[in-house]
Amino acid sequence: MIDVQPVIRVDGVSRWFGSVVAVSDVTFDVRPGITGLLGPNGAGKTTLLRMITGLAGTSSGTIEVFGQRVRDNPPLYRRMGVMSEHETVYGFMKGREFVRMMGRLRRVTNLEAAVDRAIELVDLTDAAHRTLGTYSRGMRQRMRLAATLVHDPELLILDEPLNGADPRQRVHFQGLLRTLAAEGRTIVLSSHILEEVEQLADTVLLIVNGKLAASGGFRAIRAALNERPYHVRVICDAPRELAAAIVRLDSVDAVNIDPDGAIIVLSRNVRDVQIELPRLARAKSISLRRVEPLDDSLESVFGYLVER
Amino acid sequence: MGTVYWLTLRQMMGRWRLLIMTLLAAMPVLIAVITLRSSRAPRVEEFELVVFSGMLAGSIAPLVVLAIATAAFANEIEDRTLANLTLAPIRRWQIVVPKLLATITIAAPFIATSAFLTSHVAFLGDVKATMAVTVSSLVAVSLYASAFVWLGLVTTQAIGVGLLYIVLWEGFFSGFVSGVRLLSIRHYSIAWMHGLDQRRFAAMDSLSLTVAIVTSIIVFGGFLLLSVRRLRRMDVP
Repeated sequence: MIDVQPVIRVDGVSRWFGSVVAVSDVTFDVRPGITGLLGPNGAGKTTLLRMITGLAGTSSGTIEVFGQRVRDNPPLYRRMGVMSEHETVYGFMKGREFVRMMGRLRRVTNLEAAVDRAIELVDLTDAAHRTLGTYSRGMRQRMRLAATLVHDPELLILDEPLNGADPRQRVHFQGLLRTLAAEGRTIVLSSHILEEVEQLADTVLLIVNGKLAASGGFRAIRAALNERPYHVRVICDAPRELAAAIVRLDSVDAVNIDPDGAIIVLSRNVRDVQIELPRLARAKSISLRRVEPLDDSLESVFGYLVER
Repeated sequence: MGTVYWLTLRQMMGRWRLLIMTLLAAMPVLIAVITLRSSRAPRVEEFELVVFSGMLAGSIAPLVVLAIATAAFANEIEDRTLANLTLAPIRRWQIVVPKLLATITIAAPFIATSAFLTSHVAFLGDVKATMAVTVSSLVAVSLYASAFVWLGLVTTQAIGVGLLYIVLWEGFFSGFVSGVRLLSIRHYSIAWMHGLDQRRFAAMDSLSLTVAIVTSIIVFGGFLLLSVRRLRRMDVP
């Protein structure tokens, strides 16, 4: 088996702002392919990406990109393309002009051809001669991506790149990233949306409260998520009778009835509960009025992984 | 460097900013025309003290430069577009120098024209005195630009801090505490003016031209280096 050298090496990195710890002792490597940095808002993803790109310094630990320190090392940006989460653009500038300027700053040879190619990649050729101020949010993001790609970088770092994109743009964007990754590039993208990362990333780094909560293939992360206990609230016309039946299920850890008469089910196999619950209700001729997860927010899912 | 220079020029060309600068630059010219046409025209020393030292070098030049120089970085930090430049494979001085040059490019014509017209009116077309005033105003623009570009990098309150500096340091302390003259851009500028036309300004007390040249180089270069150092070390939003 060939051991591919990591493109990014993050070693024991922490970053704090006064007494607030934004990133805490994070260590991981990134290799070619698509790596998803997943975590809820405020988890520290952007701070981590800013340190990886050299925009921000570390409080402790080291970061290397292509085997070199990244901070205050401008020549490294010839090989990197970075798209930050901030959508601010030069409103007075035309789209094409913006991509050309970014290409010029990166000393791109055969500039006009590179600009054409980058704009074509994001499917904005028709809008390239309009000023950026007139663009929709999604269009601005795509033109920023074109500017990020104009120098054909080996490493792409994209912070919440799908923000503002409509479904059609998302599909186009995902296809584009897969193509770029298939050409051997390394792509790191952050997102707080589980499905977004699931569809794209080969490897997932799960960041919660500034810590690396889990890493690996998406299946491993999914499996870990599926193991967590879920609370499900069930409202029906015979709660005691249904609760007695539910508690016998192997997949159920506990059952309570709250003061409002709703059944609260605690289960580590919510899929099984989803299948068994209607069957039990039908067998006992009980009408189910409402079935709802109580803690299905992404934050609670991530929180579980950190507490494990 | 050309790309950063042109980008900065375009960012600074706000309609309101240009209008305010035009009004500020027109003030000394108007004052010169009005006061010197009156029956009780001031002496050259009085005019020099109030209009050239107080207004042009001490107020209008720093205000105009402050309005432009702080935009060089402060606006980009605020709207978070500075990363477009710092993530490019160019050295930090290649960002700072064109931004400083762009600041001087915009401020210099306003201040130099104002200084030229004001001195031309005040000194009745005396070429040497007019050139001395114009050159000294350009020195003031360059030094203030270097200082305020750095200020825009170190604080998000650059306009407020800059105004305090202009009013308290250049306007108040440097006029009353003699030692402060060695640390005052206004006094460097005045020393240049006196040194370049010693005949016209012989009666006036100021630093020597040599001291002014040396301190000007130190201040200009010092703030330029501080800006580069700051841009290398700061967290870019």
